[in-house]
Amino acid sequence: MKKILFLNGLILLSLLSINAQNNTLPSVDKSPMDMSYYPSNYPVLKIQDKLTEALVARVIYSRPQKAGRTIFGGLVKYGEVWRLGANEATEIEFFRNVRMGGKKIFKGRYTLYAIPTENTWTIILNKETDTWGSFKYNSKKDVVQVSVPVQRSENVAEYLSMYFEKSTAGFNLTIIWENTKVQLPISF
Amino acid sequence: MKNSILPVLSFLISVLAISCNSNKSTDSGEIKNPDIQQKDTTAPTENADVMNMLYPLPDISPMDMCYFPVDYTKLKMTNAISTPPLARVIYSRPHLQGRQLFDGIIKYGEAWRLGANESTEIDLYHDATIQGKKIKSGRYVLYCIPESKQWTIIFNTNTDTWGLRPDSTKDIARFIIPVNQIKPKLEYFTMVFSETSKGADLIMAWENTEARLPFEF
Repeated sequence: MKKILFLNGLILLSLLSINAQNNTLPSVDKSPMDMSYYPSNYPVLKIQDKLTEALVARVIYSRPQKAGRTIFGGLVKYGEVWRLGANEATEIEFFRNVRMGGKKIFKGRYTLYAIPTENTWTIILNKETDTWGSFKYNSKKDVVQVSVPVQRSENVAEYLSMYFEKSTAGFNLTIIWENTKVQLPISF
Repeated sequence: MKNSILPVLSFLISVLAISCNSNKSTDSGEIKNPDIQQKDTTAPTENADVMNMLYPLPDISPMDMCYFPVDYTKLKMTNAISTPPLARVIYSRPHLQGRQLFDGIIKYGEAWRLGANESTEIDLYHDATIQGKKIKSGRYVLYCIPESKQWTIIFNTNTDTWGLRPDSTKDIARFIIPVNQIKPKLEYFTMVFSETSKGADLIMAWENTEARLPFEF
């Protein structure tokens, strides 16, 4: 029974993907793109007339899946620059000046990278936008590097997730994948 | 006997799963109640067993972006381009899931969000001209009023919003463009730039319909 269900699932999946690919136009990405705002849920709050704070930040990233693989220390190698996403380089936009790693960050668009190790990650804010992956990473275009501790979670996140959370000094960019979580503090 | 009904049973279960999905999907219509937006952004149920529900799941209508020059990000990665990009569209991609586009998901004469979830955004990195009208560089929301033979495409300055709550006082330009029929049927709503002699067409295509907004840079 299980086997038949599984086979049926496979047939369905392949039917769905045939549907999605019956044209020369771009098909749907395996690692779907998503965006998060600070204040959290800004677009929904805006249409509900519930905004209490001005728009501060937005991150646009693609969401790879764990898909049974070991991510940190496996697919994502410790000590190497990682794209912090998939496909197009992960972008963070500030709509006002903020502070990060003790440095003033001017409003504008930046690319985010990370160098993960077992216990700490280095998060990199870089000026080279509108690029793909981390293949063209150039440290000369770095704006700031921030070291953040790795937190472990018992729950395994299948998809890479990035979102903003309010903090006492401003807000954090929370990044979760597998059972690893890091928080990048951003203040005003 | 028992074995022979198993495939039938499992097929029925699968069909049921699909129809449940399409019932749940509100991904291209106006959001009814933003408090329940999680429904709008939840992955198909068949993945539920491998997902951790504590973290945000992928959207039914995945987000995507397209650049002009076409494939700009990849060109940049391979050092094949050194000039800045000219335009980018960020949109979410609803899919038909067995539904009819006109007059089903979309109604003639009614404003349509040209996507799903967060409002569809166009970033112009450079001033552009469309049908003789100059559009200044900047971020805009794009939406559409479709008719059977033509679409009206609207640039609006009310960015960073959800779905479509049209505020025509923030419209800055409207363009009427013809509609073409395409085959085969396109399951996912698709936006992509296509280079022309003067700049690029922004192609907007879904099901058997396609419209092109011509940009000059």
